Amino acid sequence: MTRTTLSVRNTPRRILFLYRRLFGQQLKAILEYSSDFYVMIGAAAFTQIVGFLFLWVVFSRIPVIQGWGFWEVAFMYAMIYFSEGVGSLFFEGTWRMLRLVNMGELDRYLVRPMPIVLQIFCTGIGMNGIGNIAIGGAIIGMSLYHVDIDWSITSVLSALVVLASALAVRIGINLAANCSAFWIRTSGNAFPIMVHNMGEFAKYPITIYSLGLQLFLALGVPFAFVSFVPAAVLFGKEDWAAYGWLSPLAAAYVFGIALLLLRIGLRRYESSGN
Amino acid sequence: MSLIEAKGLRKVFRQAVKEPGLRGAVKHLFTQRYVDKHAVDGIDLTIREGETVAYVGPNGAGKSTTIKMLSGVLVPTSGELRVDGFVPHKQRMENAVRIGAVFGQRTQLWWDIPVRESLNLLKDIYQVPEDAFRRNLDAFVELLGMEEFIHLSARKLSLGQRMRADLAAALLHDPKIVYLDEPTIGLDVSVKQKIRSFIKQMNRDKGTTLLLTTHDLGDIEDLCERLVIIDHGRIIYDGSLQAVKDAFARERTIHLQLGSELAEPSLLFSDLPEVGMDRTGPYRLAIRFDRFRITASEIVKRIISQADVADFHIDEPNIESIIRRVYEGSLDLELAAESPVAASREA
Repeated sequence: MTRTTLSVRNTPRRILFLYRRLFGQQLKAILEYSSDFYVMIGAAAFTQIVGFLFLWVVFSRIPVIQGWGFWEVAFMYAMIYFSEGVGSLFFEGTWRMLRLVNMGELDRYLVRPMPIVLQIFCTGIGMNGIGNIAIGGAIIGMSLYHVDIDWSITSVLSALVVLASALAVRIGINLAANCSAFWIRTSGNAFPIMVHNMGEFAKYPITIYSLGLQLFLALGVPFAFVSFVPAAVLFGKEDWAAYGWLSPLAAAYVFGIALLLLRIGLRRYESSGN
Repeated sequence: MSLIEAKGLRKVFRQAVKEPGLRGAVKHLFTQRYVDKHAVDGIDLTIREGETVAYVGPNGAGKSTTIKMLSGVLVPTSGELRVDGFVPHKQRMENAVRIGAVFGQRTQLWWDIPVRESLNLLKDIYQVPEDAFRRNLDAFVELLGMEEFIHLSARKLSLGQRMRADLAAALLHDPKIVYLDEPTIGLDVSVKQKIRSFIKQMNRDKGTTLLLTTHDLGDIEDLCERLVIIDHGRIIYDGSLQAVKDAFARERTIHLQLGSELAEPSLLFSDLPEVGMDRTGPYRLAIRFDRFRITASEIVKRIISQADVADFHIDEPNIESIIRRVYEGSLDLELAAESPVAASREA
């Protein structure tokens, strides 16, 4: 027997390939436990029904605010909901960081030649995300239908960029908040859940809040880029649409912070005793 | 060329000091006190390619912490460390393709998917070429007897099966170095044998360097040429296994079957207080002695002067008792430091 020399090059293509492989295997594992699968289908169906009831409640609660129409606010509301679903379905692993850190399960990730972030993302699949995606997606579709939008190639392209950035910001916030696991060991997920709940503010146009809160939602924990900015761009709100250009920057900023926190956190990581 | 080079390697964990009870907990909220725990306290370790090293010590001595630093899991507090020229925690990926690790208590496999699929995933993660993968997989399945369980998911495996699958997973990409943290803990004899002969073959055929922590002395005697003993985060012995046996095996025990009662047992070794005498039954004696202070024949001569000796035999200490006594500090380490360590450093 001879030894083969291996190389490590993580091109974006390879990362995508590994993500698909890991995600696919997880999904297969879930589907193979057929009893779990049926429970899951049942739960998903139940979520849908609750979801539509919820939708009805949502519509009854959405106000018309400061020049934002009903469907425009509904869109923002739905973006928070939808991005949460994407976060749990495809990036559920961020929510398992507490366990990974406290149980010393990161050991296994650290000895493998692929990015830690990728491995964290692929730690699990949150099937409940399907419900959020379906309902959120439905409301987004309805609002795009109801609002008069001037579709052109540029508007479609900018919409795609802004929406992709919105999802990236959301995932980045999840990741950054869950990095608290390296510092806060005993209070469960309280901190990341608190950060997560700040998303509630962004279900409405941030212009209704005080300047401090607006700045916080734009610069601190930039949920504004998940809902408000995409809405402004899509619906052509002149005062705010220009901020759309900052969307990819906001995504880079959030991910940069998240990766930095992860790096610092990993230096503190203590594994666990045997 | 040395594959692993550690100089003054140190890992300090900060532990919160909490007073008991609710009052202590509340107090801790405001005034946090910490103590530093020196898990690994400045070790120097050089391992050459192809060496087989047993890294032993009592629980909490710093074995796992060392291995976790070498494998890039933990960041050293201070000191220098290079593995095949790379700094593990900084060049994590380069390090990762060169090493294989089995952390005994914890599986590297995916819990819910069949072992075969796990190995396939690892093939993609490590980018193992198809032909090398086939070759290794076929060899491993046969050597480790994995045919019967390779289609099962890790959660359904017995401990012995899981350990074998983990070993295959750790070696699939032909790592230069393998770290095994307690690889045979809790396994039955036949599985232990399989695992040991597999590891031996990897070392022999591929020149895989091996660093092994274990409490199982059979593992050490079977697999390792070199012994490193760590205690309280410091290396207290580093040399060949044979040298530690020679240096420390001063103690002998002579077992005697007597034909009559001793006339005056208290006078027998009154000039040599370190000689220990135990009655192990009627007309039976066990006498422990230092073979550099008194010879076996001298002991037998003294006994014969007081009683008939029907039969006797001499026991050499086994490696287990030697190592235990090194931990306990009852063996003179200076003695070992003079010969074997110096010899191995020069080599």
